[in-house]
Amino acid sequence: MLIQGFHLSQTDASGSSILEDAYFSFPEGSYTVLLSENVMAATAFLKMLAGERRPVSGTLRVNHQDTYSLSSSRKRNWISEVGVVFSDFKLFLDRTVEENIIFTLRAKGFWDKESLNAVGLLLSKAGLAAKAKLFPEALTEGEKQLVMALRAMIFRPRLLLADDPFQGMDETTFEILFRFLWELNKTGTTIVLSARQAAFLEEVKKTGNNLAIRWIQLENGKVYSLEEKAS
Amino acid sequence: MKLISGLGYVLKEGLMQVIRAKGLSVAVVVIVAATLLQLSLFLGVSRVLDHLFASSNQKFEMAVFLSASTTQEDTARIQDFLSHDPRVDSAQLVSKEAALADFRKDAAIDQMVKALGENPLTDSFTVVLKNEAVDQADGLAADLKKDSGVDDVSYGKGEWATLSNLIHVIRWAGLLMAGLVFLTALFIVANTLTLALWARREDMISMARMGAPGWMRWGPYLCEGIFQGFMGSVIVTAVLEIIRRAAGEALQKYGGFDILNALPAEEWISLYLHLMVMGVVIGALGAFWALQKKWVKEIL
Repeated sequence: MLIQGFHLSQTDASGSSILEDAYFSFPEGSYTVLLSENVMAATAFLKMLAGERRPVSGTLRVNHQDTYSLSSSRKRNWISEVGVVFSDFKLFLDRTVEENIIFTLRAKGFWDKESLNAVGLLLSKAGLAAKAKLFPEALTEGEKQLVMALRAMIFRPRLLLADDPFQGMDETTFEILFRFLWELNKTGTTIVLSARQAAFLEEVKKTGNNLAIRWIQLENGKVYSLEEKAS
Repeated sequence: MKLISGLGYVLKEGLMQVIRAKGLSVAVVVIVAATLLQLSLFLGVSRVLDHLFASSNQKFEMAVFLSASTTQEDTARIQDFLSHDPRVDSAQLVSKEAALADFRKDAAIDQMVKALGENPLTDSFTVVLKNEAVDQADGLAADLKKDSGVDDVSYGKGEWATLSNLIHVIRWAGLLMAGLVFLTALFIVANTLTLALWARREDMISMARMGAPGWMRWGPYLCEGIFQGFMGSVIVTAVLEIIRRAAGEALQKYGGFDILNALPAEEWISLYLHLMVMGVVIGALGAFWALQKKWVKEIL
């Protein structure tokens, strides 16, 4: 999905300005990482892209459509193509790991057996097969975060928005999620995620992946790409 | 396929929610059971009285006096009307001569008739009403009076009417009480389910954020209410059946009467089925009520 912002102004949850008459464009199939130490700003930015936080002014277009002017049924269709990982979008505590992921599939309209079988395969690939029948409380923070990400990826969304998805992960879990995101991006999914600057860069260096990641930052109400900033 | 899978999902989730929220579910089931027990008391008493009334050997009679000018065609028409009326058990024509002969058995009346010199009576019908139609005697009398061949209709209300009225009063009072109890139960069930919804509001919001269609969110709650209502009705049915068997025998043994077993088995089965339907209705309406709350609608 192509994401474009025109004349955008936005505030975070505390009312502080994060965007002022900003322009940006994330091409379809791109992989963008928002490096930010300001958690609230990153969350507000991603929620705006997810259609959950209306910009103060300006226009946000996703695939040439203003997502904030869609009818409720068209918005639901749009949401069904978007995967989100937000810290306030927790797992259902009364459902097992497997049931949490299956619910997402069903919510997105996948009811066939093949899709449901894919959940077992995905959990095996993620090293969580043994924990499929456990409830979230039995998982570590990193594992919970991984399940939240798997839940957002299982249906191969056209757009994945993740707010600091690597939070609380150990090295192994980080590598698994990093690989999954990379594979998902290769299938054409546009990815925008936020990460704590130092920690994330450190981890990317360790994986040794030479990915076509676009690094961006929010500063003085504008969206800068790091290359742009360096020049 | 998707419809069947979706229905299966809603039923399974509804049942799972009953199990997950055990405490609240038990509260709802107990409330529904207590309500249905009270309702069954009214319904049961009403049915037993109806049955006793209908199976009584007493007969309700009505005298239909024909006009002095009535022709044979008029009499035949009235007889035809009575023989086809569903309220009438039997109708017998009593000629004025037969009526007079009957009257003259009393010496005083015999003297009066002799003094008059002619038969002052008219032909009449002795009509016996069906027991279940006794409360429709007024309607039948009114219908008969519309006929020009009918002079008057006479029927003594007496014990029959008193008993019939008593049953009416019990039935209406029972219905009124049942209605109030039903509404109270509905209110309590709705509020209990609202609590369950409140406890899971964050999950509901998450489901909406995922883009889950509305029926995936409210369907399980509706099912939860229906399951709880049904469970309450099953408990009441079991309790009533135990009472019928145990107390029925005890009443016969120690009281000398068996009022519970006076009602045939099929009447009891019908009562149980009605209770089950009411349990499901209470649960469904209670859940529907809970889902109509403003804040619930906002997150749905």
